[in-house]
Amino acid sequence: MIQATLSYVVTGLSELYPIISSLLPPLNEKNLPWIDVIHPIVVHFVIAMALGAVVFDFIGIIFKKPNLFEVSFLNLIVATIAIFIAIVFGQIEAGLSNPYGVSRDVLNYHSTIGWSLAGVLSIISGWRYVSRQTNPQVLSKGFVFVDIVLAVLVCTQVYLGDMLVWIYGLHTVPVVEAVREGIL
Amino acid sequence: MHFHYIYNILLNVFGNIYTLFLVIIKSPISDISDKLGPNDLPYKIPIHPNLVHLTIGLFAIGIAFDIAGAFYPFEKRIFRFLAFPVTRVGFHDVGWYNVLAASFITFFTVASGFFEMLLAVPIPEVKSILGQNAISTMLWHAVGGVAILLVMISMTIWRGYQRFVFRKDYGRQVSWSYIFLGSVILLIMGLHGSLGAWLASDFGVHITADQLLVRGEDLNQIFQ
Repeated sequence: MIQATLSYVVTGLSELYPIISSLLPPLNEKNLPWIDVIHPIVVHFVIAMALGAVVFDFIGIIFKKPNLFEVSFLNLIVATIAIFIAIVFGQIEAGLSNPYGVSRDVLNYHSTIGWSLAGVLSIISGWRYVSRQTNPQVLSKGFVFVDIVLAVLVCTQVYLGDMLVWIYGLHTVPVVEAVREGIL
Repeated sequence: MHFHYIYNILLNVFGNIYTLFLVIIKSPISDISDKLGPNDLPYKIPIHPNLVHLTIGLFAIGIAFDIAGAFYPFEKRIFRFLAFPVTRVGFHDVGWYNVLAASFITFFTVASGFFEMLLAVPIPEVKSILGQNAISTMLWHAVGGVAILLVMISMTIWRGYQRFVFRKDYGRQVSWSYIFLGSVILLIMGLHGSLGAWLASDFGVHITADQLLVRGEDLNQIFQ
């Protein structure tokens, strides 16, 4: 009885599969359902805004320009929103990237730090929101340390992502071709 | 008839001389090839694509915050509803400082781009989605890059004048024409950035794996 039901469900699903997969655009020569990789584009706004926020914090402290702390805060908010979009596209494109050899480990580290960074950025933005409620003109000294940690994390993450593209060539035409030919 | 015969001989001779020069005149990169890695660079990761994050991110979000500042009267109820205290001045501060920072960093973006393009060895006989070959894509990306740098610097100077002189006493710190032009520039930047992306993803410029694959080497052994 259970077995009959299960087999009925499985055959039903397997009949649905071609319909579901036909809803997605076919994969191109970069193994993507869209023209180019989207993750590296979304990531512009995480990298630039997070590193920008750190730099503006330091300039604000050194040159005593408290309105730069507000610039940092708003940039951090943008970075926090952007990182979740970056993760969505990052996960889809990582799933289609066919990593080979050592690049599998690099992709694992990149994914782990990426998810962690989403948490870290959210906490930093939230903390900043709370401390800004009392006086937006003052930045607590502790934030200098937080900024350094954030910058190091972002730079590490960028380096790992760079390795996936510039050393292992994931989602580039020659590598996808080699994977499809079974060379890699 | 006789004339035609001589013409053919001359054509043959000059054709041979031409192919001889093709063999002798090699790319200037070959003089330093022993100092370059398999990605045709003296280091593993290209610098230009990393600086580009900062150029595009800072400029785009700078323009976006000026748009948010310009439409502030419509947004303020939403921000109050979300209990998210923001000011119009704050938005325009982001608009100004982000565009300023983008302009500063873009000199380095363009400089590193030219350095790395001089060392570029694109995969031959490849066409991009637009039907361009590698050298056309590189030339458009190079000249376009300098043009965009000029436009960004002009926009920043204009933005500064609006902030400190023209619109000093206004709540809306930017004119509608600045916002319109800024948005147009972002669209052009998108296309320009795509040219750069194709240099990597289609033409394999400075990508270790692509360059090794084209040379017919075994990546499984090199990367284990």
